[in-house]
Amino acid sequence: MSKSSVFYDKFERHSHGEGLKGHATHYCPGCGHGLAHKFLAEAIDELGIQDRTVAISPVGCSVFLYYYFDVGNSQAAHGRAPVVALGHKFANPDSVVVSYQGDGDLASIGLAETVATAQLGAPITIIFINNAIYGMTGGQMAPTTLMGQPTATSPAGRNEYMGQPMKMAELIAGLDGPVYVERVALFDAKNRIKAKKAILKGLKNQVEGRGYSFIEVLAECPTHLKMTPEETEKWVKETMEPIFPLGVKKDLTVDPWFKRNPPSFSGEKLLALAGATSEHPERSCKGFPKHLAPHDISLKLAGSGGDGAQTAAMLIARAAINEGFDATHIPSYGPESRGGTSYADVHVAEEEVLNPGSPTPDILIAFNAPSLAKFGPTVKKGGTVIYDSSVVADAPSLDPSVKMVPVPFTGIATDLGKAVVKNIVALGALQAATGIFPKETLLTAIRVALKDKCALIPLNEEAFAWGIKSVESLAG
Amino acid sequence: MALKERPKPFLLPEYCKGCGRCLDACAKDCITLSDQINPLTGLIPVVMDLTNCNACGLCMDACPEPYGLRPAPEGVVEDFELEDPAKLFGVKPSDAPEPVDLPSEVMPLPTTEPLVIKGTYASALGALLAGCRHVYGYPITPSTEGAELMAKFLPKLDGTFIQAVSEVATVNMMYGTAGAGLPTMTFTSSPGFSLMLEGVSYMIGAELPGVFVDIMRGGPGLGNIAPEQSDIKLACHGLGHGNTQAITLAPSTPQEMLDLTMLAFELSFKYRNPVIILGDGYLGQMTGKVQLPKNLIKPGIPKWAVYGDAMHRKNVITSIFLTETDLEAHNVHLNEKYEAMEVETRAESFLCEDAEVLLIACNTPARMAKGCVQELRHQGIKAGLFRPITLWPFPIHELESAMATAQRIVVVEASAGQLEDEVRLALSKAGIRNYPEIESVRRMGGILPQQDEVMTQVLGHKEARV
Repeated sequence: MSKSSVFYDKFERHSHGEGLKGHATHYCPGCGHGLAHKFLAEAIDELGIQDRTVAISPVGCSVFLYYYFDVGNSQAAHGRAPVVALGHKFANPDSVVVSYQGDGDLASIGLAETVATAQLGAPITIIFINNAIYGMTGGQMAPTTLMGQPTATSPAGRNEYMGQPMKMAELIAGLDGPVYVERVALFDAKNRIKAKKAILKGLKNQVEGRGYSFIEVLAECPTHLKMTPEETEKWVKETMEPIFPLGVKKDLTVDPWFKRNPPSFSGEKLLALAGATSEHPERSCKGFPKHLAPHDISLKLAGSGGDGAQTAAMLIARAAINEGFDATHIPSYGPESRGGTSYADVHVAEEEVLNPGSPTPDILIAFNAPSLAKFGPTVKKGGTVIYDSSVVADAPSLDPSVKMVPVPFTGIATDLGKAVVKNIVALGALQAATGIFPKETLLTAIRVALKDKCALIPLNEEAFAWGIKSVESLAG
Repeated sequence: MALKERPKPFLLPEYCKGCGRCLDACAKDCITLSDQINPLTGLIPVVMDLTNCNACGLCMDACPEPYGLRPAPEGVVEDFELEDPAKLFGVKPSDAPEPVDLPSEVMPLPTTEPLVIKGTYASALGALLAGCRHVYGYPITPSTEGAELMAKFLPKLDGTFIQAVSEVATVNMMYGTAGAGLPTMTFTSSPGFSLMLEGVSYMIGAELPGVFVDIMRGGPGLGNIAPEQSDIKLACHGLGHGNTQAITLAPSTPQEMLDLTMLAFELSFKYRNPVIILGDGYLGQMTGKVQLPKNLIKPGIPKWAVYGDAMHRKNVITSIFLTETDLEAHNVHLNEKYEAMEVETRAESFLCEDAEVLLIACNTPARMAKGCVQELRHQGIKAGLFRPITLWPFPIHELESAMATAQRIVVVEASAGQLEDEVRLALSKAGIRNYPEIESVRRMGGILPQQDEVMTQVLGHKEARV
């Protein structure tokens, strides 16, 4: 009844509060916004939530909501108010966030945000002012403009080529997310009381953590409907209301559910999630394997998706880093990684990997014939090619300085009963053929990687050993 | 029992717009429209004759103006004189308290062994270590793994990850959380970054912090998902409408993905402005050694925030300034901030002291270029690499010293000259006119310039395979 204390005592933000603007709204005579503002202010007052309230002002005539409401205010881009509201709500779950939007904002440009936020169902309160026309931009067609209604962009009246009016309350009520949806109006005392109650209820649902509420308010825009305030009230009642029937569209009895703990900033928890440990891994290397390259060894592992090239590459990189070297691994990715060619570039450097790509690798591990054919010729002079002799019948002839190491990755793995360990056989072969790291270095990396699947460790160790044996038998 | 007398309505005609909603609310016909224009407002206020008024209050309920029809203040007589509204309603605009900064806390982390993780994960960890517990995102290759990691970790830290309906929604969720004063970020890739730019402009206008990790991919349009340095222009000169700028960081290793993400949060709050991290598809996917920092941050709440509590009630987050002079003043303020950001330039100069051939590159191409520098040095050619780490503001002073002995400058990039344009603009703005002709090695479409291509450019012939 009296001026709610939720309104500023002086509207300093309205043209710096100069003259009458310090105590008058910017709304036209007969506009529905003033009443909706007043009901919202009274509800905030009644619930005692002024300090906790964050009002989101969208684009439209109510963009200046923050001139009037002595609450936290956040002004949003056109149509984005509901997601801005979510950003505030999740930042402070105790805040009470009201997204106050017009029809262009909510039902046109922001439709995706409106529907998605409603369906998300987090407790925020949407107040939707539907006056069937664009106010701020000057009387253009709104998504809620009635059929036949003339506007600046439907001068001869909205017709079937311009689509049908959006019935937002019904649309939102049809979603599973919201708990409370009602359409109210302002044109007479009885409906004003209902509107006030609906806004109060929509806020209360949020305060109690029950969920998302949506209150559509049929409002008057005499200026752009080109009528007197009185005629506009009559128009809303007689012309608009039949298309947008008033009433409760959805009202679920829901127990309070929205309770969020404050975020954790525990270092211990974060380190555990990241898998970081203070345990120093055992080192077995005596020095950088300079016999392969002076400071930086480049490897390429290539095969089909599922060959385990990426895992093997990762294990090499981890092994190197555990030894105090630098290492990088770049996988091929995207559609290629889903069943197609899968290749990985790995670098192991004494100090710092400069170029992580391996266009001319020192070592190639090829899991199939196409990979060998493609990358074999790129291997540096004096380099090493290790390939799966179970699947490559005829190896291409490469530069004579390149050492060719055929190892039946697949055959060995299949004999061990698990074809997937062929990449570990390959790692064993790599170790034996190049001496890149001591056996223990690679085995440690394998064991660490399997620390949550300990049962698989013996099988992998065996695969690794067979890779080594296979290379040794070639030498013998 | 004596009924407490209800107050009758009272109206200052200056605050009546004459909408007439009170007319039919009154059962006693006390209120009528008049034809007297109020000289102060130019509007026609209603006229009241309260002889029959029973103080039902319905007219006051019907009045849309906060200072319109109100209960008569005690002692006010009907034929009262117009008073200064400030005297009637008080001069204090609000009893909301003056907010103060609640500072962040720096908490020590135990020393750990280096992690072996990919670039996007490193960036995600950097964000968590910087105190970010609110991440919003929309899946897009090749950035999605960052969001996936957040979706996995954040619930365990009682944080928030929301997969938004679009990138447009993502950036506006960030706007909300940033408006509440908390650190927030997203992972995206080029087409998604384009969509976010509306919101970035609003964040800059409303002076909100936030970190955007853009793992750049091939464009334009849908392009492809392979690495390209396609968004340098967008980040440095195209952050939506208006006079917008944001510090733009270009990491080149997984370690830098972590370090620069942490730095991005710091700078973002320091300047109340978004910070952009441009990575490339390779870097996002690249696994490398990542050492965790010594500290993690527990964020506070800055005094300007709209947190939704008593302390911050008087604040408003907005980018609208209706009066032209106000908006100009705001732009002047923003530009002063952009100028202040110039102290944040960062660059790496690798073997530049005596470099005759100066390569300029950032992100993953900088690593190819670094490989080249080493190779060229082996061959007795004095080569060096200048790697801008901040693309905006451009580290022009660092470049000036790095190019002191340069006889050739070669810009190596995975774009059609977007980095070169930054170099040229920075040189021009700094008034540096005396420099060698700029050569370039450019690849596009998702292909990064390779070491041998750079070698060919520098040597003037294709190198024989070693």
